[in-house]
Amino acid sequence: MHVLMVAPLIGAALLGLASRRLTRVLPPSASVPLLTATALLEALAGGAILGILAFTFAATNSELAALGHWSVPVLRRVDPVPAPLGILAAAVVAVLMGAATWRAGRATRGLWQADAACRRLRGHNVDGLVIVPDAEPDAYALPGRAGQVVVSTAMLRALSAAERRVLLAHESSHLRHRHHLYVAVADIAAAANPLLRPAAHAVRAGVERWADEDAAALVSDRRLAARALARAALARAHANPRGRIASAALSAAGALIGDRAKALLSDPPVPRRALTLLIVTLAVLTAVSTVATARMTEHRFELAQAAWSQTLALEQAPAP
Amino acid sequence: MTEARRPAGSLEQEVLAALAAAGRPLTPAEVREDLGRDLAYTTVLTALTRLYEKGALTRGRQGRAYAYTVAADSATLTARRMRQLLASDTDRATVLSRFVAELTPAEEQLLEQLLRDHGPPRRGRR
Repeated sequence: MHVLMVAPLIGAALLGLASRRLTRVLPPSASVPLLTATALLEALAGGAILGILAFTFAATNSELAALGHWSVPVLRRVDPVPAPLGILAAAVVAVLMGAATWRAGRATRGLWQADAACRRLRGHNVDGLVIVPDAEPDAYALPGRAGQVVVSTAMLRALSAAERRVLLAHESSHLRHRHHLYVAVADIAAAANPLLRPAAHAVRAGVERWADEDAAALVSDRRLAARALARAALARAHANPRGRIASAALSAAGALIGDRAKALLSDPPVPRRALTLLIVTLAVLTAVSTVATARMTEHRFELAQAAWSQTLALEQAPAP
Repeated sequence: MTEARRPAGSLEQEVLAALAAAGRPLTPAEVREDLGRDLAYTTVLTALTRLYEKGALTRGRQGRAYAYTVAADSATLTARRMRQLLASDTDRATVLSRFVAELTPAEEQLLEQLLRDHGPPRRGRR
């Protein structure tokens, strides 16, 4: 046990708190990779620390000690882990690992199915665009090795030619930058550490902002991009009144259209080196603390193993 | 799927989208007018011809020019396949991100306001 062990806990909590602000202030093409990578690192570090706690506690079991050749009394003295804490750490790490594995399985299956769907749509698309005759306005990107943009005819009719260009650029951006992978990784990290949930939501919202910014840059007109968004959202809401839902559920979905439209009507966000550096520092501190904890624990086990060897040597020494 | 192979919304995509939105045969001149961008007639014609050769469009004589429509057969088939896909148990939350998802009433007001303040009348549509 060491005070450094709380580093991933603090790191994940800080990242969770900062994530919403980060996606608002930084350009989304910077904030999304930064948030995703930091969230993954915090999740791994948190899991490693809990694993170390659980293992150090389990190591005081005499059978395990005999297998590993270390002295239990010495281990208890150099690295004491209270029983309730050890048991709690083991339980938490088991549950969270299970949750993360389940999430990862779901994400993999989803991406696999999307890829299979893309292959089935081969021959029905032009340059990766599939137009579906449908009365409901809808548009989305279907990721895969040959990803497809799917748009319904009702959505195309709701928009002007310039607005359609925004929509196509937005969806192409999702596929080109593989946004689905960022979302999947952040989701898995949040399953492994619930403190990272705000970060995962921010990544989900961030990829939409990223695609919006790409589309606005392509047409060189931020107002046009905002208008396309508004027109498409209203067309969808009018065609499907049941689609209007409570704001709590919506914020969980991550991408608030009002926020996206407001962001497009403001100036494009500019890179901020200080803020980026702050998050990178947070990640580095967590990584360093975790590695230091692991090294320290290793050293303590070495002490306990040395004590075990000594005892054994004494026992086996011929009586004088 | 490299960056080079996937341009951010190609002209062919735009042309196909314009024809699908129109829902009736359009001549190259009409397509060019609908797109409303500074495009050369021959550029639009090239895109239409390519789409026709790929089987994405059908065409018929209309006066001196051809008028183009989206080939219906493949599209109908696609629609059925897409509904099957979306009805299946795909983990959509991870995979799909819609261009626009659901709205709250407050957001609806905000967006209507936005269109009133920033929206010139739509071009090329009734």
